Amino acid sequence: MTPVIEMRNIVKMYSNGVVANKGINFSVERGEIHALVGENGAGKSTLMKILYGLEQPTEGELLLDGKTVEFKSPQEAIANGIGMVHQNFMLVPSFTVAENVVLGAEPLGKGGMLDTKQALQVTADLSKQYGLRVDADAVLDSINVGMRQRVEILKMLYRGAQILILDEPTAVLTPQETQELFVAVRALVDQGKTVVFITHKLREVKEISDRVTVMRDGKLIGTQNTADTTTEDMARMMVGREVFLNVNKAPQNRGDKVMEVQNLSYVSEVGRVMLRNVSFNVYAGEVLGIAGVEGNGQTELVEVLTGLRPAASGDAMVHGKVVTSKTPREVRMAGVAHIPEDRLTNGLALDASIEENLIVDRYFDPPFRKGLMIDRKMVLKQGQDLIEEFNIRTPNGQLPVTSLSGGNMQKVIVAREFSSNPKVLIASQPTRGIDVGATEFIRDQLVQKRTDGAAVLLISADLLEVMSLSDRIIAVYEGEITGVFPDAASVSEEELGLYMLGVKRQSFEEMEAYL
Amino acid sequence: MRKIFANAAVREFIRIVLAVSIALLLGLIVTLLVSEDPWGAYKAFLLGPLSKFNRFGDWIEESITLIFVGLSVAIVFKAKQFSLAAEGQLILGALVSGSVILFVPIESAFLRITVAVLAAAAVGFIWGVIPGYLKAYLDANEIVSTLMLNAIALKMYDYFLTYHIKPEGAGYTASDFLPKAYQVPSFMPKFAGNLYEMFSKQTNITHFLYIMIAACVIGWFLMYRTPFGYELRMIGANIKFARYGGINTKQVIVLAFAISGIFAGLAGAHLAQGIHNKLILNISMGLGFEGIVVATMARNNPLFVPLSGLAYGYLRAGADIMERSSDMSREMVLVVQALIILLVSAEGILPVIQQRVNLNNGKGDGVGTAAVPEGGSDVIQ
Ligand SMILES: Nc1ncnc2c1ncn2[C@@H]1O[C@H](COP(=O)(O)OP(=O)(O)OP(=O)(O)O)[C@@H](O)[C@H]1O
Ligand SMILES: [Mg+2]
Repeated sequence: MTPVIEMRNIVKMYSNGVVANKGINFSVERGEIHALVGENGAGKSTLMKILYGLEQPTEGELLLDGKTVEFKSPQEAIANGIGMVHQNFMLVPSFTVAENVVLGAEPLGKGGMLDTKQALQVTADLSKQYGLRVDADAVLDSINVGMRQRVEILKMLYRGAQILILDEPTAVLTPQETQELFVAVRALVDQGKTVVFITHKLREVKEISDRVTVMRDGKLIGTQNTADTTTEDMARMMVGREVFLNVNKAPQNRGDKVMEVQNLSYVSEVGRVMLRNVSFNVYAGEVLGIAGVEGNGQTELVEVLTGLRPAASGDAMVHGKVVTSKTPREVRMAGVAHIPEDRLTNGLALDASIEENLIVDRYFDPPFRKGLMIDRKMVLKQGQDLIEEFNIRTPNGQLPVTSLSGGNMQKVIVAREFSSNPKVLIASQPTRGIDVGATEFIRDQLVQKRTDGAAVLLISADLLEVMSLSDRIIAVYEGEITGVFPDAASVSEEELGLYMLGVKRQSFEEMEAYL
Repeated sequence: MRKIFANAAVREFIRIVLAVSIALLLGLIVTLLVSEDPWGAYKAFLLGPLSKFNRFGDWIEESITLIFVGLSVAIVFKAKQFSLAAEGQLILGALVSGSVILFVPIESAFLRITVAVLAAAAVGFIWGVIPGYLKAYLDANEIVSTLMLNAIALKMYDYFLTYHIKPEGAGYTASDFLPKAYQVPSFMPKFAGNLYEMFSKQTNITHFLYIMIAACVIGWFLMYRTPFGYELRMIGANIKFARYGGINTKQVIVLAFAISGIFAGLAGAHLAQGIHNKLILNISMGLGFEGIVVATMARNNPLFVPLSGLAYGYLRAGADIMERSSDMSREMVLVVQALIILLVSAEGILPVIQQRVNLNNGKGDGVGTAAVPEGGSDVIQ
């Protein structure tokens, strides 16, 4: 049987000289779910962008159903039934879901205007057909990431995509949403579609895919039937060495109270109460994990604690010094570091160089500041050191952050925040989009910081991550703390789940002693 | 080849030259279509500014003004603040500097001139603080507020000129000439003899030339070497990131508007004290807005502003001459200018060339030449 897609000898060199694909032969069978894995910067997104016509290969050819094709643009790829959902979404925030779905191929009504009714109808139909649940008339701005992603997929299906490329779709999803996505993906395949699926979570590869291809350093290492391989094998093929996915934690040595949060409340711009009288402490030498389904106040909590939003009432203190309603600079000066959940919004200036992204919290003090000037030698040196220490894949630190792969962008943030020697480290989704090797590294570092005496507040959609890294866990639901578990090791996933969904609740008296 | 392209400064230079050449070529085509005597007209345009010594002077003088306003615009634009305040700042700069020379009784010429120039810078600064504050703290759209402030500045200029500065009973609306003793000296030192004679008689290229060079260096230094410049650039790159990282974005925005005003104020001083040596009606005629072209062409990098200022000044000077000496209208020249702006702001041109070069030089080593962050931020290494 001829494969639906065959990519032969693909070479891709970017204009800055980075060779992202070095002669790749890759094929996909009709009707399969094909997982594509590999370290950050291995060239996965690049290969798929070539397939989708977004990047042009420097060399090599593309065959669709055995026939040579050439896609100069995504439009041409879509016309040939190939659709892609990107690592970073590309939707119009002020449009409704339905408008986004039909954008570019709108059903027109009288006078050439958009036929809104029909747009809603097709969106609803597609949504039902593939089990991709969306609110067709909701404005995009108001829906969460999971639904946005479903909108992206629907958009591709609406254009008639037969082959769907999903670039790290689960990186932004909660475990529940991931399961929903998998159900939808299976439905797609049952209805004759083909799916290529990029992920860093090897568990997911095992769960969903028929075959898996491993890439490393721009080369294709191998393609196998998923059933014939183990996650350990895959990890080894990806990284080229043994990987330990379990965290080894030194025994906890809990110190003094470092951060104290008292009766914190936050009301959103539209008047919704996002945080309700939240109180807890974080101690030196512990990782306090926050378990909750995304959208239950975690984002707001982190942003209030880091000075990005004002509190409605209540206080947070670091070593007794109030940090609520202070500027981000003041909060940072009090010793708080922050890995933001959305790296592209807050965490990075994409067009600025890597070096410059690494000094935003420290450029104004020696050794980075020398007299009136910024000491460029120090900036350069720190850049080199951190690039090496955190294994950021780039030719040099003067390149703009845009030239990095998604996971390497995340490493830039992690490098900056970890290297600031924080007393309190607030880490939101620290390993989102990061490959197994680097995840291992970041988790180790996080635990190391805690063992060295920092207070770590960990927020992650990955429940297993919260459970394996934390010493203590609090569960949140709708902006309130529903439970606290002083010994993270002794709580089960199911138990935690009940608190995260607000089914079970501890009384304040029960929690008081442990918060 | 590859090495040369790796040097971002060279690439920028090539980009500007390329854009100007293509635009000139298109200009020639337009001329051929429109003019009775296309070769004569085009020659006047292309070579006019160099054809006579005083025309050469006109070109350089105008370029100096353009470079000052270009710097001004480059600084606010770098922070992605779309201030159009340069025009008003320039007008007030001219008003203040001319008035100081005319009316402030400081004996020493050096001191009076210095005070006049500093006063122009100061008024530009203040005229920047206002829209900066309105934008940063009250979220007022800077395009609207700066246009309003420009109108106010212009009316103030006209008012003071008509009712206070114009000599009583004069039949024209202009000030007296600045007293000879208090005019800014020619850039040529006296001991240069013949050259000094030539330049000081036929041109008004003054010490403002040196101030302009210093301003470019200082502007570049400020932008690429100081903490303030870093803050400015990060705000321009992603203001949310800047805020998250701890930068006091509001304060930096106000300062960006204000510091940009200093350079526009200096442009005004140059008009009053360097070019006209008096205050006249319509002293600016929109020069402040031309700063946008100059800055855009220079990718908001102060070091490239002189180059783009000279190039653009040359076009304007050539246009003037062609308009006067042929049947071509100014409109055609505006067409060429618009083409240049388009070509220069089309990001795509150079990367394509560079990619070709990379490919021809073999590949596969993985360590390539540096892409330039943010259109040349770290340009001069
Ligand atoms: N637009 C670009 N310009 C220059 N280099 C790029 C560009 N995009 C990617 N690269 C480089 O190409 C290499 C491969 O990047 P790619 O995005 O394909 O990696 P990836 O496998 O998707 O990684 P990740 O898992 O981190 O998303 C990286 O070294 C990256 O720095
Ligand atoms: Mg990727």
